[in-house]
Amino acid sequence: MTADSGAVSPAGLEPAAGTGVIHDLGYRHYEGPRLGRAAIIRALYWHSLRSAFGIGRGAKAKIVPFLMFALMCLPAIVNAIALAQHPGQPRIIDYDTYLYRLRPLVMLIFVAAQAPELVSRDLRSHVLPLYLSRPMRRLDYPLAKLAAFTAACLLVLEIPLIILYVGTIVSATGGSAIWAQTRALIPGMGIAVLWAVLLAAIGLVLASLTGRRAYATGIIAIYLFLTWTLSTILVNIAQQGPVGPNHVPLGPNGVVPLGARLGGLISPFTVLDGVRQWLGGTNPGPIPPPGNVGILYGVMYLALLAACLAGLAARYRKVGAA
Amino acid sequence: MLVTVTAPPELRAGRGPGDAGTAAAVIRTDALTKRYPGNVTALAGLTIDIQPGITGLVGANGAGKSTLIKILLGLLPPTSGRAVVLSHDVAASGERIRTLTGYMPEHDCLPPDVTGTEFVTHLGRMSGLPATAAKERAAESLRHVGMYEERYRQVGTYSTGMKQRIKLAQALVGDPRLLLLDEPTIGLDPAGRRSMLDLISRIGAEFGISIVVSSHLLGEIEQICDQLVVIDGGRLLRSDTMTSFTRVSQVLMVEVDEGVEALVAELGARGLQPRRSGRRGLLVRIDGEQTHDIVRDAIADLGLPLNRLEQQRRHVEELFRDNGDEEEHGDG
Repeated sequence: MTADSGAVSPAGLEPAAGTGVIHDLGYRHYEGPRLGRAAIIRALYWHSLRSAFGIGRGAKAKIVPFLMFALMCLPAIVNAIALAQHPGQPRIIDYDTYLYRLRPLVMLIFVAAQAPELVSRDLRSHVLPLYLSRPMRRLDYPLAKLAAFTAACLLVLEIPLIILYVGTIVSATGGSAIWAQTRALIPGMGIAVLWAVLLAAIGLVLASLTGRRAYATGIIAIYLFLTWTLSTILVNIAQQGPVGPNHVPLGPNGVVPLGARLGGLISPFTVLDGVRQWLGGTNPGPIPPPGNVGILYGVMYLALLAACLAGLAARYRKVGAA
Repeated sequence: MLVTVTAPPELRAGRGPGDAGTAAAVIRTDALTKRYPGNVTALAGLTIDIQPGITGLVGANGAGKSTLIKILLGLLPPTSGRAVVLSHDVAASGERIRTLTGYMPEHDCLPPDVTGTEFVTHLGRMSGLPATAAKERAAESLRHVGMYEERYRQVGTYSTGMKQRIKLAQALVGDPRLLLLDEPTIGLDPAGRRSMLDLISRIGAEFGISIVVSSHLLGEIEQICDQLVVIDGGRLLRSDTMTSFTRVSQVLMVEVDEGVEALVAELGARGLQPRRSGRRGLLVRIDGEQTHDIVRDAIADLGLPLNRLEQQRRHVEELFRDNGDEEEHGDG
């Protein structure tokens, strides 16, 4: 070690060049590459996607996401086993509705439990100023979070469909059977994308309202569950009532009252099913076919999504500002 | 005032070799003004010039320190005026500035359920470091702040002092050229404060990183600063090198059991300007080494019973009283 007093220069050994000071801390400046904004957003995306499944956290954080994922895969696995034992039987689940009683429940729990993991934790610990003081823009953070959570929801929704598809075609005979399965799978995967996009946006905007995880989970669960219940009740009530003269008959089974066709507009899950049927899906779902009001489901989907995105942007424009 | 300073201040060199005196300003603001809705003025025409080295940003709570730091980071647009950080305009090049600057916020900002390493590594990536580099830099930063041993512990288990070090490590991880530290000693006990100040002082002196450290306690940060900027009510009270500051910020507290009036007269006759403080106390501004001798001799010559003779650092509040008494400032 060398004395670091500037005035005294030890004889011989190391001639003090300029103000050069030798210190024992050995701080080294970073000379490597610095990545830009896009790479930072990508890094935050991957970090958030991992945390949506509790990866990089303790074992406890993985329970809910992986349990929900397994639960969602279970019917597809049952289908694969059943078809393997009884070749030639038709597929037991549809691609576009999957199991329409199971899927909303699983997604409700997944979104309510995991959306707060992505945003509420950071709000709670006031870590946002640290993100904002880095070379990114104000809305990059919610953008990366939204992309990550949409991808997480996509994984939970799409992987079971792929298991369903693979489990079906390994027992199928002939190219035409495989082609038929592929043709049925594609719209099913498209519908799942609509699910992931809307549910991720709803989950994040509601979770970003509070830093308390339990509250955030509660808000999301209550919103999704209450609206779902409400829509189901409205549809059921309307279907039991007398059929008026201006109700449009639908299908061979009779007429669907207007109330039943509009009742699904309240819940995101039934809105998603309305969109599916409006886009041409014919498999039975939680709500009756919307018929000529189908476009309202499309409008409702876009309105809900737009409201969530605007809410998220407004929230993160304000957070950590003053 | 007739004071001869014995040695020039040891201005610490910036990153460039031998550019201590002539280097470009690290931060320069010009008539910087920030008004919040509701006619609250946080900064009122602030013009400052901060040189490389360690700069203390001193002001009472609400003086505009945090607002200034946020503007310098490009996070808050000024109402008017401009600011340049490391030769980049805050309005145009906020992202560039944030690449070159590390920021340690005043308040708590750590999630409890991650380890120190994970947290600092993640923020390293958020600073634009590639994955492996972020890991290395995180380990290095944690070592420099003295948290290497504890780096695999959950942040929630750290003491307040350790948390402050983690906050400093995350500011350091991107190898910034400038550190903005907002009240880094807040909430620490005296020993913790001292070691945090030592750490800041080492980073400034040995890492070649310029530092702006804000505090509401002048006496605390004046020990480690090359330059001080004092603001109050969003206005600049004083900006100067440390030596000229300690000159006015140091006073001698004299307490005698009797004969205060006689001592006042005697000291006045010997060229000092004592001020009464309490019933038996006097405050004498220290004008160099000889002040102590003059006071001692005066007391000895008068034969007064001396109770206390103590050098005191004046508080920011006293600076306000002396320098900014001509107007009442609104609160920021």
